[in-house]
Amino acid sequence: MGNNVLYIEDNPDNMTLVKRVLEARGYCLLQAMNGLDGVATAEREEVDLILLDINLPDIDGYEVARRIRGSGKPKLAYVPIIAITANALKGDAEKALGAGCDVYMSKPINIRELWARVEAYVPSPQK
Amino acid sequence: MMPSEKTSYITGLQCSDCGNLLSADEVHTFCPDCQAPLLVNYDLNAARGHVDRDEIHRRLKGMWRWHELLPVCDPKNIVTLGEGDAALLHLPRIGNSLGLINLFVKDESSNPTGSFKARGLSAAVSKAKELGIKKVIIPTAGNAGGAMAAYAARADMQALIYMPKDTPNANIVESRIASAEVILVDGLISDAAGMAGIKAREEGWFDVSTFKEPYRMEGKKIMGYELAEAFNWELPDVIIYPTGGGTGLVGMWKAFEELEQLGWLNNTKRPRMVSVQAEGCAPVIKAFHAGASFCDFWLGAQTIASGLRVPKSFADRLILADIRASNGTALAVSDSAIMEFQKNLAALEGIFAAPEGAATLAALKELVVQKWIEPDERVVIFNTGSGLKYLDLIG
Repeated sequence: MGNNVLYIEDNPDNMTLVKRVLEARGYCLLQAMNGLDGVATAEREEVDLILLDINLPDIDGYEVARRIRGSGKPKLAYVPIIAITANALKGDAEKALGAGCDVYMSKPINIRELWARVEAYVPSPQK
Repeated sequence: MMPSEKTSYITGLQCSDCGNLLSADEVHTFCPDCQAPLLVNYDLNAARGHVDRDEIHRRLKGMWRWHELLPVCDPKNIVTLGEGDAALLHLPRIGNSLGLINLFVKDESSNPTGSFKARGLSAAVSKAKELGIKKVIIPTAGNAGGAMAAYAARADMQALIYMPKDTPNANIVESRIASAEVILVDGLISDAAGMAGIKAREEGWFDVSTFKEPYRMEGKKIMGYELAEAFNWELPDVIIYPTGGGTGLVGMWKAFEELEQLGWLNNTKRPRMVSVQAEGCAPVIKAFHAGASFCDFWLGAQTIASGLRVPKSFADRLILADIRASNGTALAVSDSAIMEFQKNLAALEGIFAAPEGAATLAALKELVVQKWIEPDERVVIFNTGSGLKYLDLIG
């Protein structure tokens, strides 16, 4: 198993934070700044886990999750997806899980929790 | 002992996760590096030499008599409505029915705005005033909104409140009459939190969400100081606490640490902390029994105890750590049990408790059945607010 984590997120501050903390633990972070790029990256690259922001500028995270799950690439049917949102709308968590995400986290992203959630699926390369 | 000349022995803020130190003279929310709650540090060694617990005991009643251990440096900035020193009442009839001879309730309903939220918001709004903040925003399940509205009015601050649309009407009315703007949200407190967070970032409101600023917990922690004082500088054996955001539970545990460092306790025996949630929203209970360090977001949260309808606390790691450190436990109770024990508390002891408070009694009964509590142990349940604010629940 690899250690490639794809983070689909349009907020550069969040991207920088997550990149810093995951790379510090030896993960390789792939970055996508919108939903369509995120789906394309997931299909093109070897991805072991996806962190998915729900509020994206083009297609929303639910649609991204649906497209990833419906992709013709077999691995994407089961690659873990962690949804991350600011819960700005009712039922975000339920909708995220319904769209194919495995776990739901709310912003602000607690880094210790992020490590724990990521490591539950992809062991840290530095352990 | 040299008399205290300081209003507060605050030294700064510290991240509860990474230990990062930050100044308390600047506006902070949560840790910028790891996004965990910040805790307030005090120079307890200096306080130990200058602050006399017995002198505090003789001061006028109220939360701010503990001002050396609260975060406000200039007394002019203290915004108070007379919060704190809620009654600690013996419950002989209910205790007798459960086979407990030392059962007490800390009845927080006597606080301004009718709930324990007054303590935290008094501290948070006071510190916000000291830091020059002019407008405050909060997502709330109800009582925190009413309290923030009242303290913001007294501090001449603008207040903006996001509440679920099914929040008890009393909370909406009390907020609006204090000139707060209230926005009703079609969702839960987590949805309200998201909206408030966006508004805060876009328009520069200071967000006093639970644990997303460091000072509400300081007000709540004084409940722990009051318990120690009431039990003659010992601590009860068991504290049963309703857990939504968890500020009170984490705050009291912090108080016990501080009391020990101050040398004010006659022994170091700590209480076992019991977290109580509703069956329809029990993320802490689930995580506690699963051995997890964090809570999963609770899907479809539903309970009549609106203060317990918190799908995931921002301080879940601290809550779980403190329960475990205390050798405590966590359990969920049904809405029907909450209603039954709300009636029992009123009928047998004359206390018209909030549903969240009644939940602690329902949990106590279960713990007695499990023989988790010895008959002579000193047990304190918490009633966090007045049942009068929930009249629309009672037919």
